[in-house]
Amino acid sequence: MVDKKVITELSEIVGEEFVSTKQDILLAYSVSASMASDAVLPGAVVRPVDTEQVSKILQVAARYNIPVTPRSGGSSLQEEVIPEPDGLVIELMRLDKIKLHKELRSVTVGSGVTYGVLEKFLKEHDLFLPVYPESALVCTVAGNVAVNGAGPGSSHFGCTGELVLGVEIVLPDGKIITTGSEANPYSPGPFQRYSFGPDITGLFIGSLGSFGIITKVSMKVFKRHKYYDHNTFGFETHEQAEQFMVDVKQNDINGVFTSLYEGPVLELFMDMIGEELGVPKYEWPFRTVSMTIGRVREDMMRSDAELAKKLCEKHGGHVIGISQLPYQEWNGRLWFFVRACYVHGWHWRTLYHHQTPINAHRSVEEIRDVMEKYGFLGHTAGFASGHSSFNAYPHLYFDPQDPEDEQKIRDAHKELAKTLFKTGAVPFKLAPYWADAIEGMDNYMAFLELVKKTIDPKKLMNPRVLGGL
Amino acid sequence: MTTIDLDELLENLAQCRRCGICRNAVYEDKGFDGVCPVWKNSAGFETSFMRGRIQVALALLDGRLEKTEENAESLFSCTLCGNCTSICAAEFDPAKCLESVREVLNEIPNAVRDTIAKKILENNNPYVDENKTRRDWVKEVGFDIPGTGEVLYFTGCTAGLKLPETAKSTAKVLNAAGVNFAVLEEEPCCGSVMIRTGMVEEAKKNAEKALEMIAKSGAKKIVVTCAGCLKTLREDYSERFGLDVPEVLHMVEYLKPLIESGKLKLKKSSEIKKITWHDPCHLGRALGVYEEPRDILKAIPGVELVEMETNREAAMCCGSGGGLRSYDGNLAKKIASDRIQDAEAIDADILATACPFCEHNLKDGANRIGSKIRVVDILDLISKQLQ
Repeated sequence: MVDKKVITELSEIVGEEFVSTKQDILLAYSVSASMASDAVLPGAVVRPVDTEQVSKILQVAARYNIPVTPRSGGSSLQEEVIPEPDGLVIELMRLDKIKLHKELRSVTVGSGVTYGVLEKFLKEHDLFLPVYPESALVCTVAGNVAVNGAGPGSSHFGCTGELVLGVEIVLPDGKIITTGSEANPYSPGPFQRYSFGPDITGLFIGSLGSFGIITKVSMKVFKRHKYYDHNTFGFETHEQAEQFMVDVKQNDINGVFTSLYEGPVLELFMDMIGEELGVPKYEWPFRTVSMTIGRVREDMMRSDAELAKKLCEKHGGHVIGISQLPYQEWNGRLWFFVRACYVHGWHWRTLYHHQTPINAHRSVEEIRDVMEKYGFLGHTAGFASGHSSFNAYPHLYFDPQDPEDEQKIRDAHKELAKTLFKTGAVPFKLAPYWADAIEGMDNYMAFLELVKKTIDPKKLMNPRVLGGL
Repeated sequence: MTTIDLDELLENLAQCRRCGICRNAVYEDKGFDGVCPVWKNSAGFETSFMRGRIQVALALLDGRLEKTEENAESLFSCTLCGNCTSICAAEFDPAKCLESVREVLNEIPNAVRDTIAKKILENNNPYVDENKTRRDWVKEVGFDIPGTGEVLYFTGCTAGLKLPETAKSTAKVLNAAGVNFAVLEEEPCCGSVMIRTGMVEEAKKNAEKALEMIAKSGAKKIVVTCAGCLKTLREDYSERFGLDVPEVLHMVEYLKPLIESGKLKLKKSSEIKKITWHDPCHLGRALGVYEEPRDILKAIPGVELVEMETNREAAMCCGSGGGLRSYDGNLAKKIASDRIQDAEAIDADILATACPFCEHNLKDGANRIGSKIRVVDILDLISKQLQ
């Protein structure tokens, strides 16, 4: 339990209403959307309303040596916000301000602003933040910066981190800094991330709150695309499909979302939600690429769409021509993936990672091997996620009411992280289970530890992540 | 003894993958501008919306959390409005599950819940000792209403005892349409609040008693003005208790064909300007009655019907359902104020609804923030426009 004296001090900062040590509330914060994870009861939960309150809270935590877990939407899937025993959870959903810098093509949002809220706000200005995590209706933008997520839009715009212009951070000792161009107090706003030397912003992207608490993020925004082409392309070998994806990028085809599906996986998805989404029945080939091209000008879109067809045929593929799948992936991007993830009854663990497009099949092979060895259902699919990367999202299904089944998945998950690492895959963040998987990175990890020690000498900030440094 | 299959309930609760979409999803394509009214209007901890409540329910059921009144607080700080069910991506009904959890865990002390159930069983209503007064409004309508007849107007406790104008308006409208109808001499409570708060065994006893009284009236058709009574009599009595109830219609369902066929004529309104419709959760999300009241309002000459940002399946709740009004009146009224602000945002002059429970709470919500919006029952509106 957190000492009563500490609770009194926290109450003085945020008001009694926004601090809790109630057993039921602590229990609700002992978990997140991460399945097959052990729940850990924190000692208290506090809900600040602004950066200054976060700063004061961290000063209290530092004074009393209380470990801190920052949390916003609570939708993370890889144990990023599981608290420390008797630690303090700082829940950031009340930081809900949005400020648009129209001339700078950027927006600054507080840590409690979800993608759904921001999408509605930006739409009124004919703008969008063009990368949407699968949990966009729940997930906060700042939370996604802290995990450096990806999703629809990433195929052209890269991971969330690529869109960040700066962050406001409360450091473990309570000091507040702003990175990027806004580090200059006279700056008109966020317009240049790479200001004043090293990329300090980058230090906090994917850092999972281990170096401080992000209280605001400034993001690039773009004019909404008006013209779209949705198409599907079939291939009989993985090499054909993967080369097609490389060539799409090489020819500057603006595939805002380019997914790659293995035949049986697509069949599985379509069995679950195909009818609901209006996707016609089809015998999907060995590999299907589902692509949405988005452009602000029609001529560009038409040119891209034509070239994509030619490239498909050049690589030995055929144009399937079913547009409903990519249409739903993109137009229903705030819903499609959530529905596909939860429509079936299974619980699942995921193991998000990046490959290169030409290595995408290795992820498929590895998950197949581990499925066979452990005997469980699962799949992986993925999408182009930047300059030359591919985001794979394996799901390992289990029955939540069967502890043995769950343990099997935990073991398989651990093993899969190790084998994927050896294929050359990289995680976007050091979620706890990657710690056992990585090898041959001793100097890198030692440097990371040095950074952690320097910024957070008491190791109070989300200590379970970054390999438990 | 609970009627709930615990294994099935646990299986359903396990469908929650804790994604959190039930908190504050803003999703224009499906009409959502937020989901949980309690989360929005309370301190906003995890237990104030369905994801957290389900975790608490599971922990209380499997013993990880001690079964105390304090630990079960979040189970009752919910209007059971069902907006979470509307947006849930998984294949289960979270609001219905919570209702079942309340039933299974009804051994956990809860003075508010127990008092309501006791009053209903003793007095046939949750409000006053002398239930006979609920028929006092009949004296003011200017014509006789018998206690027996083929069409029974089941007034409901709130209209009968707190908002008799709605009952009088209903009588006038039925009379104008040439309908011979009855009102029970001593009408019982339908028991909705007992079912919602987990006192299902008591609710069943009450339902059997109520149905006996209804049967004695000779009713072949029951009309109601309360959305809670509608859901309870139409759905819960048959599905939960296996009782054979005559056809039950809300007045908006009953009146629509009468208006469309010209049996009930409405005159132009001189005072009604912009009017918006608040979907009662039990009428809309629970029973899918969305268009009938809108069609009726549009049939009043001179009315401009405007929609609030959230409506139909995604409508925000008034705050009074699920026993919340009794359990935490301040929170219920705060939620109501929030809904009133939705109506203010579209410059509505009048907010109409079809549930005395909603009306009562929304009026308090409007007063709380000094809103000039008039909250009215649709029957009160119609009765003023009778030709």
